[in-house]
Amino acid sequence: MVQEVVWTVSIVLMGVLAALFAWVAVGANTALADYGPMVASAYRARTWLFGLAIIVLIGVNYDTLGKLPYASSLSTASSGAAVIPVEAVAEQWAWTITPNAFTVGQTAEFHVSSKDVNHGFAIYDPDMRIVAQVQAMPGYVNVLRYTFTQPGTYRVLCLEYCGVAHHEMNADIKVAAH
Amino acid sequence: MTVQAIQSRGGISARAAVLAYVVVCGLVLLIMMLLGLTMRLAQAQWLDVSPDFFYVIMTMHGAGMVGIAGLSGAAVMWYFVRRHVPVTTAVFIVNLTFFLIGAVLILGAGFIGGFGAGWTFLFPLPAHSGELWSVNAAAAYMFGLLFIGVGFLLLHLDIARGILSVYGGLGTALGAKVAFGLAPESEGPPPAVTASTMVLIVNILGILLGAVVLVVSLVNLYVPSFTFNALAAKNMIYFFGHVFINATIYMAVIAVYEILPVYTHRPWKTNRVFYMAWVLSTVMVLIVYPHHLLMDFAMPTWALVIGQLVSWLSGLPVLLVTAFGALTNVHRSGIRWNVAAGLVFIGTAGWAIGIIPAIADGTIEVNSFMHNTQWVPGHFHTYLLLGVIAMFLGFLTYLTPKSTSFWAPAGFWLYVVGGAIFTLAFLAAGSASVPRRYAVHLPNWLPYDRVGSVGAALAVAGALILVLRFLLSVKSAAREDAKA
Repeated sequence: MVQEVVWTVSIVLMGVLAALFAWVAVGANTALADYGPMVASAYRARTWLFGLAIIVLIGVNYDTLGKLPYASSLSTASSGAAVIPVEAVAEQWAWTITPNAFTVGQTAEFHVSSKDVNHGFAIYDPDMRIVAQVQAMPGYVNVLRYTFTQPGTYRVLCLEYCGVAHHEMNADIKVAAH
Repeated sequence: MTVQAIQSRGGISARAAVLAYVVVCGLVLLIMMLLGLTMRLAQAQWLDVSPDFFYVIMTMHGAGMVGIAGLSGAAVMWYFVRRHVPVTTAVFIVNLTFFLIGAVLILGAGFIGGFGAGWTFLFPLPAHSGELWSVNAAAAYMFGLLFIGVGFLLLHLDIARGILSVYGGLGTALGAKVAFGLAPESEGPPPAVTASTMVLIVNILGILLGAVVLVVSLVNLYVPSFTFNALAAKNMIYFFGHVFINATIYMAVIAVYEILPVYTHRPWKTNRVFYMAWVLSTVMVLIVYPHHLLMDFAMPTWALVIGQLVSWLSGLPVLLVTAFGALTNVHRSGIRWNVAAGLVFIGTAGWAIGIIPAIADGTIEVNSFMHNTQWVPGHFHTYLLLGVIAMFLGFLTYLTPKSTSFWAPAGFWLYVVGGAIFTLAFLAAGSASVPRRYAVHLPNWLPYDRVGSVGAALAVAGALILVLRFLLSVKSAAREDAKA
């Protein structure tokens, strides 16, 4: 869902910018008699654009910074008894995840660490879309919470380059209906 | 004011030195693009490449492209800043020499020693090779980076010396006095001086921190009992990497400031907003790097929030000052388009357009879904391939003697259209959760790889034409006087 929104918004904005550059390039062969008034009106437009950008910036950041995935930001309500602690340990080039079977609606709290180098712990849903991720680092335990929403086999892929078998470093998580 | 470069003892002229840079950059760029194409073809399953060799190629491509973006940016910066401040040709040549020594060490580490820990040499991976490369190969790679870093350090220090001799202080040369209303706009420094000052401030800090983490990693290679905090190392590596790659953009953009006005016959207008943007960019480039660590939950939350906020803020100077300035400079200017002007204009567009997916990925909520997917190479190739390198190719074409041949426009369109297909394929794959840096791809991911491969092949063909045109005419280019 997030991916689709980001892709659509990005493509639209990138397309608008590309169209603007193309429009200016195509029309540039014809010279204006006087450059001054055009610059003055461009600067006025820039002031409005700056104002608009600031409004968007404040709005999006206000919205998104309220949904941080970090342990320090998780609400008390979501840290109740239903949370299942899970150990996820990375080592070149395998994951050890205990336990690795859940039911839909359960919230797993992954305690992610590494025995050797940096790895990336990414959870893919049964449709092979990323639903959550965190880095696995030597010397640290990173906490990631995720609530399973559909039955099937979720996969964990390594998303931080960790050596020659990086692309083979994956594991399965089974999620039952109920 | 025009200031000539101080000649090197060997008598190499400044123009010959710049041409030497452009020749090296053009050749290395082509080799690195071919390595990139090889990776895409391998992922598309159109070419059989073993995973261990894939990761060697990936490491060489990353290090080579970052290096060549830096070197080509340095060529642009030095060529134009020497019109305003005295610089030393010998130091400029020393930087090129150090780069070549570093490149030989890095290529040897990869293609002879099998080093494939990624260009970011993320600690402690270089020491955990899985028997694929030796400690000496890893050390050769790191010494290679150190050589390149020392060369750039000397170059920036020499430019700093020249700038200080004319402007008296880095703040004045950056335009801070005008930005803060302490001097009238008419006393603002030329854009090339402002950009060079910003770059030397941030790059000297970045290179020094990079050198520290390289030395730490080197010691760890030979004395494994000497360890270092992996998160601290990651912070230092990404600070260095982020600053260095951003500095390449800020060096290359000088080509836009200097070359576009030649063809539009309109001066690049600097004013208080322009200098404020550069002062803010100087600060933001130094503090935005935590956006590379948004999935490192052990980081202090405040640092990651700053990473997100500054990612958003840092887009404003690019979009509203440089991109807007280029559009205003070109709009109904009566310009007669040629390939050099077209490439620097496209370079501005690529930089501005690449900001959009970059800001998206710099948002923590989005980063949870996009981090280390192909969205990341998608956004940085947009502002490197279609931004920095387009600006460099514009500079290269600007130095190439004029010709009415069909080949230059053909190279331009192949590069731009191929580059757009290539980067969009990466972004589309990223939004479909395809990981970056995977030697082997799942069947579902192949369509993205195949479209991307076609785009990459077109872009390589375009760059090949543009660079070959330059190489074939380099002798006559050397004879021509500076054009502007």
